[in-house]
Amino acid sequence: MKTILVVEDDKNQLLLYEQELSTEGYNIITARDGLEAIKRVREQLPDLIVMDINMPKMNGIEAMGKILNEHRKIPIIINTAYSSYKDDFMSWAADAYIIKSSDLRELKDKIKELIRR
Amino acid sequence: MNHAKAKYEERIMVLPHVLKKKFDNVVNDIVDALGAGLSIMDKDLNIIWANKTLFKILNLSDSPVGKNCREVYKCECKENKYCSVLQALSSGKRQVSETQLITEKGERRYIKNISIPVRHENGDIIQLLKLSTDTTEQEEKIRRLSLLRKLAELMQGQLQIDRVLHLILTCVTAGSALGFNRARLFLVDKERNIVYGKMAVGPSSWEEASKIWNEIVSKYEKLEDLVQASEDHYREDTPLHMITRLMAYSLTDEKEIIVSCIKTKKPILERDAFRNPNSNKKFVSMINANEFVCVPLVVKDEAIGVICADNVYSNKPITEDQVELLSIFANRAALAIANADAYKKLEEKIQQLKETQERLIRSERLAVIGNMAAYIAHEIRNPLVTVGGFARAILREPTNNNQIKRNVEIIVEEVGRLERILANIMDFSKPVEQAPVKVPSRVNEILENTCSLMDPYFKKKRVQLIKKLSTLIPEINIDPTQVKQVFLNLIKNAVESMSDGGTLTIETMMEKENVKINITDTGEGMTAEAMQNIFIPFFTTKVNGTGVGLAVSRKIVEDHEGSIKVKSALHEGTTFSIFLPVKKGQEQFLKEVNDENYSRGGGR
Repeated sequence: MKTILVVEDDKNQLLLYEQELSTEGYNIITARDGLEAIKRVREQLPDLIVMDINMPKMNGIEAMGKILNEHRKIPIIINTAYSSYKDDFMSWAADAYIIKSSDLRELKDKIKELIRR
Repeated sequence: MNHAKAKYEERIMVLPHVLKKKFDNVVNDIVDALGAGLSIMDKDLNIIWANKTLFKILNLSDSPVGKNCREVYKCECKENKYCSVLQALSSGKRQVSETQLITEKGERRYIKNISIPVRHENGDIIQLLKLSTDTTEQEEKIRRLSLLRKLAELMQGQLQIDRVLHLILTCVTAGSALGFNRARLFLVDKERNIVYGKMAVGPSSWEEASKIWNEIVSKYEKLEDLVQASEDHYREDTPLHMITRLMAYSLTDEKEIIVSCIKTKKPILERDAFRNPNSNKKFVSMINANEFVCVPLVVKDEAIGVICADNVYSNKPITEDQVELLSIFANRAALAIANADAYKKLEEKIQQLKETQERLIRSERLAVIGNMAAYIAHEIRNPLVTVGGFARAILREPTNNNQIKRNVEIIVEEVGRLERILANIMDFSKPVEQAPVKVPSRVNEILENTCSLMDPYFKKKRVQLIKKLSTLIPEINIDPTQVKQVFLNLIKNAVESMSDGGTLTIETMMEKENVKINITDTGEGMTAEAMQNIFIPFFTTKVNGTGVGLAVSRKIVEDHEGSIKVKSALHEGTTFSIFLPVKKGQEQFLKEVNDENYSRGGGR
């Protein structure tokens, strides 16, 4: 079973992703901010990370940079409500950039595609 | 009266009586040379004798001898007690009077009369000597000067430049003021270094001169009435005015009479232009008068223009007096023009300031609204994702309860709608924070690009596209991304207004120093009320609209120092016009660049 780390500060939204992705057949671990995400990755290396950007303590882009430093090959999907971060070249390091939507099909398709690689 | 003086007067009074008896030619000549009109009448005021000068002064055709004083002098004093002649006879003292009369030939004259009773040796008054002098010229001068003063007052109170100019020319041509037949006004344009024809007043033809103009000029006695009447009659499409508007001369061309008048700051009186070898034939043929006078308008030692006047219809020679009077008048006129001009400039500056301020307030407001909208949009988007996401999860659960299923479907649908609106706001509010990055671009290319992007959309909405793009449009400095955003907004609006399909026309053209882009649809059109509000943020007539598109479009266009206008007729369609300025000098530069076949690849 593939493990996915979902990093999201919104409690309810995190619950949604946890539920939805579990039903897709993934093992889900979660983090509520960038620092926690780095900690989780050290504990257990996931097969893929879904990363929010706007979060307290450490934002997603910074956390992504730190994680990629240690684990070059881990696929990361940025999942954010803002389209403006597309212009931030740091975000280009991610494997995908998805603008949040209540319709999770795009996210799920992307996960499937990246994990299969 | 003391005794000696009385004695002296008596002697003087007797003299004419003696003269009458033994006039010979020599004495006659002397009397005529006096320059005063003389007549002697009996106590019944019948004229016994008159000299030649009186003929001239009163403009008589027949001999006045044997006629009554009143008939000859055309006195206006109908009552005896005002008659100076009768008073002189009854009082025995000389009487001085002034009269105004219209001569047989219809000219107005001012006459000063001295009536002197003539006594017989026994002291009885038997006759009366009347001395008359023509004071018309002086009177006219005084009248004109007082008129000029009034004119000057009228002008000083007038701040609208065109009205001032018209007032000036009216005064130059008014019979009661300066009395020229036609007057033209030329103004100096320092920026272009030329002097050009601005305005002309007067009849354009003989026919008009004899008909209308005389009527206007003679009908109104009071200056204010005349000015008002001539303003009512003033038209810009007269041949005289139009010819004058075509006249322009370079200030370096000092051979031109107008230019030399400006350079010397002195009046120029041309008596015989057709035959004068030095006169410029072209100018003379435009003026079309043999005799004319040019007077400079001087303010603070600087000539700002020229008044050129002539008497082409009456053929009256222009007198030195008239030239002098015109010069005095021109000085006042110049001051009035300078005043009005300064006022106009001030007004323009105030207007500019107002507009800038308004735009600033608007863009500030838009920026605040934009930022707020973006913030709220994001804040709402996150919970929406959760709500919608869980609703979709529920929907996937197999259930037999159709009511729950339908209710959840509604949640999913409504969340979807909200998300679309938010996406719109976030996209449109984006450029608000960014200053345009201007590069030389081709508007036509941006439009072509936008249209091809939207081609599938046009097909889907059954919209026929007509492009009329002018090839004469230069590259202009704009932010192609932002301008494209404007085109996208407007084209999208246009298509959305044509719910049953229609025709979308996109035109480009040059208008003055602007590139003008028209986007016309055959859609619903708008009410006047809607038109007033469409540029206000969050105003919308569309069901799913956000009301940000047009506000942002206008912001972008104004950031480019352009403007955006809308014309609409309900149920017929709407035209949006965008004006983007071509900077001075840029046009020429770009033309040269293009001529060298140098492609800058604009219009990305």
